[in-house]
Amino acid sequence: MSVNTPAGPVDSPELDIEAIDLSDRDFWAEPPAVRHAVFDKLRAERPFAWFAEPTMEGMEAGPGYWAVTRLADLDAISSEPAIFCSGQGAVSIQDIPADLSEFYGSMISMDDPRHARIRRIVAKTFTPRMLEQVVDSVVGIVDDVLAEARAKAEAGDGTLDVVADIAAPIPLRIICDMMGVPEEDRLLVLNASNTILSGGDPELTDEADPLTALLEAGMAMAELMGRLAAERIENPTDDLTTALVNSEVEGEKLTHQEIASFFILLLVAGNETTRTAIAQGLLALSENPEQRARWMADPSMDKTAVEEIVRWVSPVTWMRRTATQDGELNGHSFKEGDKFLLFYAAANRDAEVFENPHQLDLSRNPNPHVGFGGHGPHFCLGAHLARRELAVTFRRLFEICPDLEITGEPARLRSSFVNGLKRLPARLTGQR
Amino acid sequence: MSRVQVDRDRCVGSGVCESLAPEVFELDDDGVLQVHREEPGPDDLDAVRDAVQSCPARALALAE
Repeated sequence: MSVNTPAGPVDSPELDIEAIDLSDRDFWAEPPAVRHAVFDKLRAERPFAWFAEPTMEGMEAGPGYWAVTRLADLDAISSEPAIFCSGQGAVSIQDIPADLSEFYGSMISMDDPRHARIRRIVAKTFTPRMLEQVVDSVVGIVDDVLAEARAKAEAGDGTLDVVADIAAPIPLRIICDMMGVPEEDRLLVLNASNTILSGGDPELTDEADPLTALLEAGMAMAELMGRLAAERIENPTDDLTTALVNSEVEGEKLTHQEIASFFILLLVAGNETTRTAIAQGLLALSENPEQRARWMADPSMDKTAVEEIVRWVSPVTWMRRTATQDGELNGHSFKEGDKFLLFYAAANRDAEVFENPHQLDLSRNPNPHVGFGGHGPHFCLGAHLARRELAVTFRRLFEICPDLEITGEPARLRSSFVNGLKRLPARLTGQR
Repeated sequence: MSRVQVDRDRCVGSGVCESLAPEVFELDDDGVLQVHREEPGPDDLDAVRDAVQSCPARALALAE
């Protein structure tokens, strides 16, 4: 594949800032070069850019939002959760009813102290020290998935789909193991995650209108959780689902709905983001063969390379905050109730912070990216797990599938929220 | 003498400090951060500074 064009922004001096509309769904179907050219323009000329909200059927459009594209501004907002709260919704631009927002966002859409109390239930499982204990199982799962992908390709015409055969099953199996989701329910988890994060991409919502599809996926996951929770109350194990059903917050057990939404959050977040980093990371390596060769030859680069992949891919494009009071930030005045969309994907290419931001540099160090979120209470719970999964996956890929070659254009998810790929065609050349 | 300060309202139990300075920091079974040496000795100081700087929630400080 002749993909030596950098994934950086296209040079487009004629780009009209007044014509930019981040609420336009079609914008999110554009290739990364277009997306980053727009982010560059906004960051340089209008770091707090105001946009009208996207329309959504059955919902009244709200007042609009500020798009934040500079890393310094984004991090300042993340670090002040009392002024820029999450409780009015962090994963939806529109104000959706609080119960629905909390159901799909769980603690992402909560503020402290409740957020912290809920997060502590599972925090320990995701610390670096505890994750040391699951390293072996991560290696085992990655090796199994890669061996299956290899066998499948070799049994056929040598081709495979990086997303379906490698990037999706690895994090799916790992998070389902941690949660105790049995084998036969994992397809349901995969499909429901896809729907919940489809951003209304018509291919993933099966003709149904996006809101109905979202509700149905949520109900399917809640039903699965109900079944597992009942089993865990009878027979506790050491998995995360047992921790959820047994935990108490302020002396009270979590409600069925709280457990369900927590369960959905862990499964969806644990699945989708790492899948995107693996698939988009492999695409980036194929576009930068010299970087790939260096990393392959030098395992001591794993740490910096993984951080750079996360910066480069920015699996989650944005999260929302809402101002709880009037104020001013870095010279920008805002009013209580103003919404801010923190564009991690834009901040991660901020030339004020990163030298040659549109160049993939797997040895970049330091790399203060915000791919796991800015500083603050909502910093990605799964960051250490994700780093571990990515380091193991790429290293084992270099060993088990060194002949993997991307053969065509990726099918990109039309979503403003996650930077997902639906498909990425590849083949094994057999030259090892 | 340097003293470790934890902002309990900010700590989310990410465990980054524990991984960098395990002699000083430990998350207990409830995910609450315990500080074993509030006044870390000279051997711990580099690791503690690293932990303070790396805390994703900016919950740690070292008063020197």
